[in-house]
Amino acid sequence: MSQYKIIFTGPVGAGKTTAIDSISDVPPVKTDAAASDMTKSRKDSTTVAMDYGIMNLDDGEKIHLYGTPGQERFDFMWDILTVGGIGLVLLLDNTRADPFQDMQFFLDSFSDFISDTSVAIGVTQMDLSSKPSINDYHKQLKGMDLKPAVFSVDARVKNDVSLLVQALLFSLDPGLED
Amino acid sequence: MKNKNNKPLQVALYGMEERAYKTMSMYLKGPCKGVAIVVDEFAADVDLIDADHIKAKDLLEGRKAKSPSRPIIVLSLEEILLPDTIYVKKPVTTADLVAAFKQAAIMLNTAAKAKKVKGDREQQAPIKPDLNAIKNLDNSSPKSKKTESKRIDEEERKKTSKHRTAMDLTEVGFSNYLGNLDGINFSDSQQVLNASFNPKDFFLGYVQSALKAAKAKGRIAQLNSGWKPLIIFPYSKEIWLDADDKQLRAFAGLVIKKNENKGMSLTPVDQAAANCSKKMEGFYDVDNFLWKLAVWTSKGRYPDTIDIDSRVFLTHWPNFTRLVVTPHAMRIAALLVMGPRTAMSIASDLNIKPQYVFVFISAAHALGLVGQTKRQADEIIASPEVNRSKSKGLLGRILGRLRG
Repeated sequence: MSQYKIIFTGPVGAGKTTAIDSISDVPPVKTDAAASDMTKSRKDSTTVAMDYGIMNLDDGEKIHLYGTPGQERFDFMWDILTVGGIGLVLLLDNTRADPFQDMQFFLDSFSDFISDTSVAIGVTQMDLSSKPSINDYHKQLKGMDLKPAVFSVDARVKNDVSLLVQALLFSLDPGLED
Repeated sequence: MKNKNNKPLQVALYGMEERAYKTMSMYLKGPCKGVAIVVDEFAADVDLIDADHIKAKDLLEGRKAKSPSRPIIVLSLEEILLPDTIYVKKPVTTADLVAAFKQAAIMLNTAAKAKKVKGDREQQAPIKPDLNAIKNLDNSSPKSKKTESKRIDEEERKKTSKHRTAMDLTEVGFSNYLGNLDGINFSDSQQVLNASFNPKDFFLGYVQSALKAAKAKGRIAQLNSGWKPLIIFPYSKEIWLDADDKQLRAFAGLVIKKNENKGMSLTPVDQAAANCSKKMEGFYDVDNFLWKLAVWTSKGRYPDTIDIDSRVFLTHWPNFTRLVVTPHAMRIAALLVMGPRTAMSIASDLNIKPQYVFVFISAAHALGLVGQTKRQADEIIASPEVNRSKSKGLLGRILGRLRG
């Protein structure tokens, strides 16, 4: 049976672990550890390897949900993770100093994967920081010649994460039946 | 027990560690057949507390203090009979838990009816726009502004989520959601082409004009329409209106003739803003409100500012997690961001009824996300082919799984 994956990426604290938890059918395997470096200022623990969850489909097929480690020193794993990936969910933390720089970094890092598949962007923590707005993200993306879905997302809310993944799927094929 | 709209109750869980939380989420979805879905506490209809948790008492008191009108279900090994709570004995059985949610739904319906009666009584009072308040907007003292601001912040989280999805509705269900529309037979292809509306003839047009004026002047403003006053907060991009969806849908569909709109006016206000802060559930995000208002104004028609024979483009995806997601809206958006198309070709490419396309175009147009190609060169360039994934079957199954 093939290994199908959806990859969740983004900076530390953007909600990757929580988002996978929201839609996984099994308690996700977490590899969080107490943060001891610069990530400590963002959250008490951070993902040091990768998070993993599963969506079980009706026919017994499994979709593997992988969350990349937020710390850039683990970016060597990203290429390995994306092999066989269906698409990319990029989560951005709106309270970070420069979310646009984060967006640029991750879109560049996964550019080959995105050009082969698609990307959907979720902006988290907008209740704490409403700027930049979703429209501001679209303006930035226009300069990068990209038009992905960009949604406000609360990673704890299943419906938000679900809609984001659905947008990713429709970006791959709008002809999918509702 | 799902409510009348087949929407599960939204429940927040307390006193459960991560594994129990996840297990309960799956239990509700599986054995309990989606009686409720687990959400964050601020979006919940019902609270569910594990009373055997070490801090159960604090949790219960905290929830009662924060959301006194919200039904609470308590799970416990020993019988607990507390006023205004629903007790379920452990080990929890599916029947007991479903019954508890049924009881919670009844409590919510009763409370909603009581609130409606109160609202109807308030509605009967004549509207008296405070014309004298126009120039008082900036006269309030810094202290009172700060106090008010703080109070509003504390109350902020009472603003309820209003972006419930409509995409799961059946065709009949969606027609009911849109409301009745007389005079157009959507089965007749010729009538479909003529199924347009002028936003300026409806509340939608007046709200759009008022928003523009409030934004230009940078002032809180009240739109007086002879119905309920609508207050615009241009800086926070919010609207306040004391009306539920049913009332708004009914008013959205009424034609307001230009010679009959003498009661329509826009007045700067500040006192009204302070008054309305008591009812946080009346706040809407501007985009969310306009989108919904346009959907209910459209009722399956397209705005007459759109040339039905010309291609439309979408500037970018709507922020669907904060909007009413109408049927096929995400497919239409995905298709339109690939390149401009006519409304009818979208319907054809996606094999859907034109009304769904018209509703989407109306809503996106209200938010300024839709435009039409003007240049001749744009018309000459063929619309891009629709992407067809080789993994269509797999993607479709994932989609089905996500939509439950």
